[in-house]
Amino acid sequence: MSRFLRTAGSDDSSSESESADEDESDSDGDGAQPQKKVSRFRRDQEDESEDEDDVKRIVKSAKDKRLEEMEGTGKAIDNALKINDWVAISNEFDKLVRLAQRQTNVAERIPAFYIRTLSGLEDSLNNAMAKEKEAKKKMNLSNSRALNGMKQKVKKINKEYEADIKRFQEDPEGFEREYAAAVAEPAVAPKQKKAVKVDVEEEGDEDGDFTSVGKGGKALGFTPDSVFKNLQTVQESRGKKNTDRAVQINILERLLEVANTSYQRIRVLLALISSRFDYNSSVSTHMPISLWLASQREVDQLIAIVMGDPSYSVQEITEDYDEFVERSPADEKDGVVRIRGSIISFVDRLDDEFTKSLQNIDPHGTEYVDRLKDEKGLYESICQAQAFYEKTNQLDPLARVIMRRLEHIYSKPDAVIQALEQTATQSKLVPSTTLATQGSSSSLIHSLSVSLYKSDNSFLRTRAMLCHIYHHALANEFYVARDMLLMSHLQESVHAADVATQILYNRTVVQLGLCAFRKGLIREAQSTLQDIFTAQRVKELLAQGVHQQRYQTLTPEQEKADRQRQLPFHMHINTELLEAAFLVSSMLVEIPLLASIDNEELKRKAISKPFRRLLDFADRQVFTGPPETTRDHIMQASKALQDGEWEKCRDLIQSIKIWSLMPGAQSVKDMLARRIQEEGLRTYLFTYAPYYSTLSLSLLSRTFSLSLRTVTSTVSKMIWNEELAASLDQSSGVVVFHRVEATRAQQLAQSLADKLGTMIEQNEKGLDLKLGGGSVWADRTDGTKQEKRTGDQAGERRRTGERRGGTASRGGTRGGRGARFAQGLGNRMGQASQRTRA
Amino acid sequence: MAEHDLTQTIIPYLDRHLAFPLLTHLAETTLFPVEQIIKAQYELTNGTNMVDYSVNLFEQLNPDAEVPAEFAKKRDKVVSTNDRLEQEAQTVLEIIENPEVAQALRQDKRQNLQYLKDHFGLTLEQITVLYNFGQFQYTCGNYSGAADYLYHFRVLSTDADLNLSAHWGKLASDILIGKWEMALEELNSLREAIDSRTISLASTLSGPGGEVASALTQLQSRTWLLHWSLFVYFNHPEGRTLLLETFLSPTYLNTIQTSCPWILRYLTVAAIVSRKASATLSGRLRHAIREVVKVIQMEEYQYMDPVTSFLKELYVEFDFEGAQRELTKAEQIVGDDFFLGNFSEEFLDNARYLISEAYCRIHQRIDIADLSERLNLSREDGEKWIVNLIRDTRMGADARIDLEKNVIEINRPALPVYQTVIENTRGLAFRTQAIGAAMGKAGQTEVVENGNGEAH
Repeated sequence: MSRFLRTAGSDDSSSESESADEDESDSDGDGAQPQKKVSRFRRDQEDESEDEDDVKRIVKSAKDKRLEEMEGTGKAIDNALKINDWVAISNEFDKLVRLAQRQTNVAERIPAFYIRTLSGLEDSLNNAMAKEKEAKKKMNLSNSRALNGMKQKVKKINKEYEADIKRFQEDPEGFEREYAAAVAEPAVAPKQKKAVKVDVEEEGDEDGDFTSVGKGGKALGFTPDSVFKNLQTVQESRGKKNTDRAVQINILERLLEVANTSYQRIRVLLALISSRFDYNSSVSTHMPISLWLASQREVDQLIAIVMGDPSYSVQEITEDYDEFVERSPADEKDGVVRIRGSIISFVDRLDDEFTKSLQNIDPHGTEYVDRLKDEKGLYESICQAQAFYEKTNQLDPLARVIMRRLEHIYSKPDAVIQALEQTATQSKLVPSTTLATQGSSSSLIHSLSVSLYKSDNSFLRTRAMLCHIYHHALANEFYVARDMLLMSHLQESVHAADVATQILYNRTVVQLGLCAFRKGLIREAQSTLQDIFTAQRVKELLAQGVHQQRYQTLTPEQEKADRQRQLPFHMHINTELLEAAFLVSSMLVEIPLLASIDNEELKRKAISKPFRRLLDFADRQVFTGPPETTRDHIMQASKALQDGEWEKCRDLIQSIKIWSLMPGAQSVKDMLARRIQEEGLRTYLFTYAPYYSTLSLSLLSRTFSLSLRTVTSTVSKMIWNEELAASLDQSSGVVVFHRVEATRAQQLAQSLADKLGTMIEQNEKGLDLKLGGGSVWADRTDGTKQEKRTGDQAGERRRTGERRGGTASRGGTRGGRGARFAQGLGNRMGQASQRTRA
Repeated sequence: MAEHDLTQTIIPYLDRHLAFPLLTHLAETTLFPVEQIIKAQYELTNGTNMVDYSVNLFEQLNPDAEVPAEFAKKRDKVVSTNDRLEQEAQTVLEIIENPEVAQALRQDKRQNLQYLKDHFGLTLEQITVLYNFGQFQYTCGNYSGAADYLYHFRVLSTDADLNLSAHWGKLASDILIGKWEMALEELNSLREAIDSRTISLASTLSGPGGEVASALTQLQSRTWLLHWSLFVYFNHPEGRTLLLETFLSPTYLNTIQTSCPWILRYLTVAAIVSRKASATLSGRLRHAIREVVKVIQMEEYQYMDPVTSFLKELYVEFDFEGAQRELTKAEQIVGDDFFLGNFSEEFLDNARYLISEAYCRIHQRIDIADLSERLNLSREDGEKWIVNLIRDTRMGADARIDLEKNVIEINRPALPVYQTVIENTRGLAFRTQAIGAAMGKAGQTEVVENGNGEAH
């Protein structure tokens, strides 16, 4: 019943009732009567019963009850009026309004006395106000506040029922009679209404559906003249609850067919595209693909029209114009017809809908691939829009559209970019920068980014920068990418950026790490990837899947927002590959280090916590089966490396399957083999040095299949850096180890000294922090310290010789080594970011 | 060797006039055809007012062709401009050189200006004439005159931009006359001016655009300063250590890394050459070589030449053969380089020393023949060299030559543990004291500030 009878006004009334609810809650705060609460409860019950059963008898009794209730409230208002208690009036009035609202909701006529009360209230309000003005002090505060509130409310309500009130005031009796008559035939009234409604609907149908015109008497043909009128009707019904969006779209499509001037076509297209986007009301689902394709075509069409005829322009802000009149360039002042609308928002929306549909389609099905093919068309549209904005020289939308374009190509390999660009250049409208004019994809991205750097929008600049860096990293240009990232100083400000930019930043950093890994810069790769892996939320940080929270559950809204942020599958960075790269580089850095430190305390300081955790876990296992997962492989390889079995380690690492996903897999594997040899040698030396007094270089070179020169160089490096207490004997080709076993007391004394040093350092740091710009202080003390040391040492050095100098300086940097490792990327970034300060 | 020549890279960062000596030097090294160099010189002169020189070069280039009439015209014009400017400048100079005036002039420029205006009717415009004339003299090649005029101008003028420009002009003139002491002074004051400039600029230019622009200008000025200073540092007797001091300061190191990595060559040579001196220096400079190696490693992807890769081979790879190979190449480059030419002997000497030092530290027993080979020396020379090395340096106690086996034995007793402990704890008391002092000071200033606060 209610479905049929719900009138167009119901939408409005629901919002009304909301505001009424608000009012009510306000008065609740003031301490309203308990009676009201009861009534509210009852009303809810009634509503429910109303919806549930359609039995007429119950409806009838409920109706009577409602009427009684309304009348009772009306009486209460009258009584309160007499004693001038505006607080009570206000409360009662709210109730009354609510009741009347319900009356409309169930599609019954508003009782005549309601109108009467309204008009009466207005009169008495005016009187009260007049009185109030004369004698200000008479009313207390809450009363006068209620009075003012009432004035507003009554004004609002009266506006709604303006016509009724007018009729009532003209002829009070006639109005009441009319009402009585209407109520007397309750069965008839709805039917009448229904009939009226059907009429209305039929009219709508006629507008929309050519085939169904027959049943409505007066067919409304689509002629070019009536385009604007039809457009108007469609636009008016837009966004209303009971509008059938499919019908609307249909009407507009027909209108587009008949539209014969550019102006008409533009107007219809604007309306059509937006109503297509309106088709889906819910945010979570994506637009049907057929609709998307249609709207993409129409956006193209729109751009083509506007491009083809420069005397028309679509702008977001225009002067007001008459919607019903055909306009032509000749009539306008400067010969340009300006139409309200925004092409960039259409392009944005198209792109967003595309992403949304990809998010919702199962990435492993063929449907996903089919959908991906549409990207070409989308890219073409974006390029056309860019060409359009370039021509019309609108900088702000131009920057936005270029950003869209950049986002489509920055993470793609050259072949895909080529394919996309090819379709884009085939169309009629070609933007100024294309792959053909730029020569290579990286210079295309460079020129796009550079044009964005010039824009005023810092948000776009940041994103463009990140895309640019990402592309550099993808193209294996590690140093360029790293320098750009550091010079942008983004790592300092990215925490304040929006989530999407943070995701892009994470992606960029991760890609940079992978790039370093491919280039064989293991240490850099390790420190770059470290940050993202310590958090253990890789997938979430890259927006490639929702992380399962163990201790807290997400609200549905959060989850929904999370889901919306997810990247479509084809843009994902393979996390398993990422993890393999990270763990392998951690292994290469950590295992020799583990071997080099011999006391327990230092061992606890790990460079890469995730790796150490895994390694400890693997150590604890009693029985290890053959490796299955990537992690298994790496863990067993690490153990092999620890034992000096570099060949086993190499085989294990190279048999990891995921490498095949990495570009240039073979060269990466070769690089890894080489690194494993070297690190294996280092680990071996660290581990077994205590058991040898000399070790032949040629044996080492044979064991590790390294050239003698490489072995010598590696060993020399270790000696020079004082990692290894040894020296080379050139004539016999051996390494001579000088190991000094420290006694327990000596060890303790050493660690005590170290700790003291750390403590002082901490104190200094703390003081620096407290003093703010403490660098001045630190510099000064540093200088004096150095000088003092020089003085002290001058005497000693004569006795102990050159070596002491080396040790002293090492003492100075001792803290440095741990700190350097621990800080990892941060430190490196700091180091290099200094340069940018120049 | 031409591919390692930096002249073409450096010239864009030099003044037109400063480039002449470089080109002249190139002509001597025969790395490039002489005609090309003369042509380059000719093109350089075309931008200056040195007409006679230009004509000279033209004749060298085209021995048969007639000298175009433009030169004569230009010459006339130059002479007339010269006369006009000289007259104008003369009046000002007369006033300034008046001993009375010289006495009356004070530190405060504004006051001076007022004084000159009141007593002699000398306006700012007239003083600017000094600048113009100085500049003109400079373009004509009369550098000492230019230096004088620009100096006078700078003393009097208050215009910051012109002052800076005069600074540069004065520096160039000093360099070209070869007054290294003065040039060094000029260089230092210019450096101060550049470094302090950001602060004033950043405060006047508000907004991010201004900041970026001023940072960029500063970077540019620093790059120029780095290049120009090469003239001074490699000619002044104290220059190398000063170079290390300047170039290794964080701001300038950053500048090198960002905009002109090729300067690393000069930095490297300076570090190697001043190896002995650096032992007596304090602070960062003592480890100049280590610093330089770090930078070289970091910038490897941007800039590499035999000089830098020598250090890299030696201290990063510990590949002594590689180091020796690079050293041979580097020697030639250093010899051919305009700035480094005079230091090639010194460079080689010190580089050898570095090699043998590293070698001795790593090895326990060294074959003399092998070491001599590493050092590019004949066997006899090698032995002499090693003996000198042992005598000169502090290895004396540990190293012995065993002539029978032809080896050097190096015995390094392991460092006793107590030494390390003493070493580690040495500075502690002093540092604690420093912290205490700093805290006391901070407390005082706080008290003072609080007192001020209360007074307000």
